[in-house]
Amino acid sequence: MSVAVHERFIRITKREIHRIAKNPVYLFCMIIAPLFCYFFFTTLMSEGLPVNLPMGVVDLDNTSTTRSIIRNLDAFQQTQVTAQYNSFNEARKAVQRGEIYAFYYIPEGTTEEAIAGRQPKVSFYTNYSFLIAGSLLYRDQRMMTELASGSIGRAQLYARGATEKQAMGFLQPIVIETHALNNPWINYSVYLCNTLLPGILMLLIFMTTTYSLGCEIKENSAKELMKMADNSIVTALMGKLLPQTAIFMLMILFADIYLYGFLHYPCNGGILPILFAGLLLVLSSQAVGIFFFGMLGSLRLALSASCLWGVISFSISGFTFPVMAMHPSLQALSNLFPLRHYFLLYVNSALNGYPLIYAWHSVIALLLFLLLPFVVLKRLRNAMLHYVYIP
Amino acid sequence: MNKNSLKHIIKQGIAGLFHICKEELKTCFKDEGVLIFFLLVPLAYPLIYAFIYTNEVVRDVPAAVVDADNSSLSREYIRMVDASPDVKIQSYCADMEEAKALLKETKAYGIVYIPESFSRDLAQGEQTHVSIYCDMSGILYYKALLLANTEASLSMNKSIQIKRLGNTTERQDEVGTSPISYEAVSLFNPQDGFASFLIPAVLILIIQQTLLLGIGLSAGTARENNRYHNLIPGYRHYDGTLRIVFGKSFAYLLIYAVISSYILCAVPKIFHLVQIAQAETLFAFILPYLLACIFFSMTCSTFVRQRESCMMLFVFTSIPLLFISGISWPGSAVPKFWEIISWIFPSTFGINGYIRINTMGATLREVLPEYRALWLQTGIYFITTCLVYRYQIQISRLHILKRLYSYRQKHKTSRQSSNQLMN
Repeated sequence: MSVAVHERFIRITKREIHRIAKNPVYLFCMIIAPLFCYFFFTTLMSEGLPVNLPMGVVDLDNTSTTRSIIRNLDAFQQTQVTAQYNSFNEARKAVQRGEIYAFYYIPEGTTEEAIAGRQPKVSFYTNYSFLIAGSLLYRDQRMMTELASGSIGRAQLYARGATEKQAMGFLQPIVIETHALNNPWINYSVYLCNTLLPGILMLLIFMTTTYSLGCEIKENSAKELMKMADNSIVTALMGKLLPQTAIFMLMILFADIYLYGFLHYPCNGGILPILFAGLLLVLSSQAVGIFFFGMLGSLRLALSASCLWGVISFSISGFTFPVMAMHPSLQALSNLFPLRHYFLLYVNSALNGYPLIYAWHSVIALLLFLLLPFVVLKRLRNAMLHYVYIP
Repeated sequence: MNKNSLKHIIKQGIAGLFHICKEELKTCFKDEGVLIFFLLVPLAYPLIYAFIYTNEVVRDVPAAVVDADNSSLSREYIRMVDASPDVKIQSYCADMEEAKALLKETKAYGIVYIPESFSRDLAQGEQTHVSIYCDMSGILYYKALLLANTEASLSMNKSIQIKRLGNTTERQDEVGTSPISYEAVSLFNPQDGFASFLIPAVLILIIQQTLLLGIGLSAGTARENNRYHNLIPGYRHYDGTLRIVFGKSFAYLLIYAVISSYILCAVPKIFHLVQIAQAETLFAFILPYLLACIFFSMTCSTFVRQRESCMMLFVFTSIPLLFISGISWPGSAVPKFWEIISWIFPSTFGINGYIRINTMGATLREVLPEYRALWLQTGIYFITTCLVYRYQIQISRLHILKRLYSYRQKHKTSRQSSNQLMN
């Protein structure tokens, strides 16, 4: 009796669909968890750039000038002056209580000294244990001080009869104009979500792949699977993983539609390259999952490896802390993570809109991941045919 | 001795507690899956993370320069940018097209464009505009470029002003260029670094997540080894809910007392992170955190039917939990809805409290809200753990009774049938 390969293939696929439908863990990992994360991250950072970060003021001078400085500081979009403190120590304690991220210190006699030309000194204390909040508040405080300093200087120049053009030319001869390419709002959601969402999916693909393979051995159904595939591990694997590939492709498609279609995040290179990158990410993640299972042979170990590798991906792929600032050994290691290459492809195609050819090495790298399963095919076949689950 | 006296019950309970504790420790150390999460991950992961971020800041971001002016002034400006630790001038380009090509090849992450009119404007006493273009694939590139250029422009502005003022003394120069001087102080993270900011949060999160996984895994194993897929075996020692819950949690507490002293004290020391905690404060704070985590994990572990499914359910939550805790994303910007959700997890309070104690030198009084919340969580999750365990005990009793009943039934029918045969 001989059954054509494609028929076997279809039978295995049908069997896998039944298995997925029966076990709620699949439903959770393939659909609920990714959708939850899509929703979570985009709503968490929906502000884009945090606004109204709380900061305090210690105003020991308390004149109309210093009060206007504080009012202007409060008017900045990122800053909100939530409290005034009577002394440095009170403000410091408030920082330690986590009520404010920074405080602005104006010593007594500041206005008087400024008018008299004795150059008073103000200070700002920023808590960098919260890096984003700290950086944003630092920027506003510094800007405010420069402006205050400038306004005093401007008043003096006007008094000497300078025109506005002359005054500005003297006060700020060189002006820096910053152009944040393709993310002019410095939107943190654009900066993080575009890699976080596919990253979560990658982690779940790692785990689902190893889990579904391991369960065959655990539930003692591996031999049945191999029988259906006529002992061909390639047919068995392809048939088994195809339904998962399809579902994960749908999930990444959904992520792309959500990010670029609904939220209108920058997608300057068109939707096709980023979809292509998504497809590659799904396939390469599955390949890594197969590889882990083939190498380690036990569900428990392979699943642990998937978790650990998947979670490190978020740090080592360099979308928060640049790879170039890491130790050289880690720079080399980062190439072994599919998310790293997906991130480079995303930056190249979606964010910056450059042609795909500029990121050819990432495409090649992701394709190379697809070769990983071939390394372990023999071991995998052996495992599927002979291994017995040991609890 | 009266078998039902309180003294006897307590005595038996304590004996049972230690028996269960011992058994739990034994199973933990025999199970390689649990060992991975109770020992390997807590030992290795903090090191990996600290190693990734150990450089704290990004230095020498490569940038391209288009100097359309090409005067001594513009060259001075470029030299000043290049001299800053944050930016390295990678190449001098003839025009923007050439510089853009470098951006595409990721040989540079930013362009500094100096207009043709640069030195002419300055000579005429007018404002001139230097444009910088930043690749936004990383916020730190943007920050480095902005910082280096701002510093360079400020110091050049100052020297230009001094020249134009023609003052006689240095003091006059200073007052003339900046009527108000300022001083920026970085509190608690003097390098403005990434490791000092993120690692403490990661360390605390690792404790919760490994407990969640380890306890879930051991609960899953217990179920799989049990003939009726019950979490609780029906032995005599496993009679009371309290002794099971106390016995198991005591075993985990013993393991994690050692693990967390390594994670929270040794790791920051090894990587020279900011560490100004007072020992008593830290101890007093970490105890409720560990207890809250343990009872939280024990409650969650009853949902685990299958050994491995705990990984599938819990691992991905690490990343949302890190974001929701108010570290990566400022707590004041977290929407109210998510803030309330975040109160479910001990990590939210644990991270916020630990950072303030460890990095910012807070005492217990400054972290009182978090401290109270952790004890509250300990109480709530202790009760839920008792409830779910009690329910599990009842189920396992029910199974045993059923089995007994079915045996009896079988016995009866067999006797009946044999009687019938005899008749």
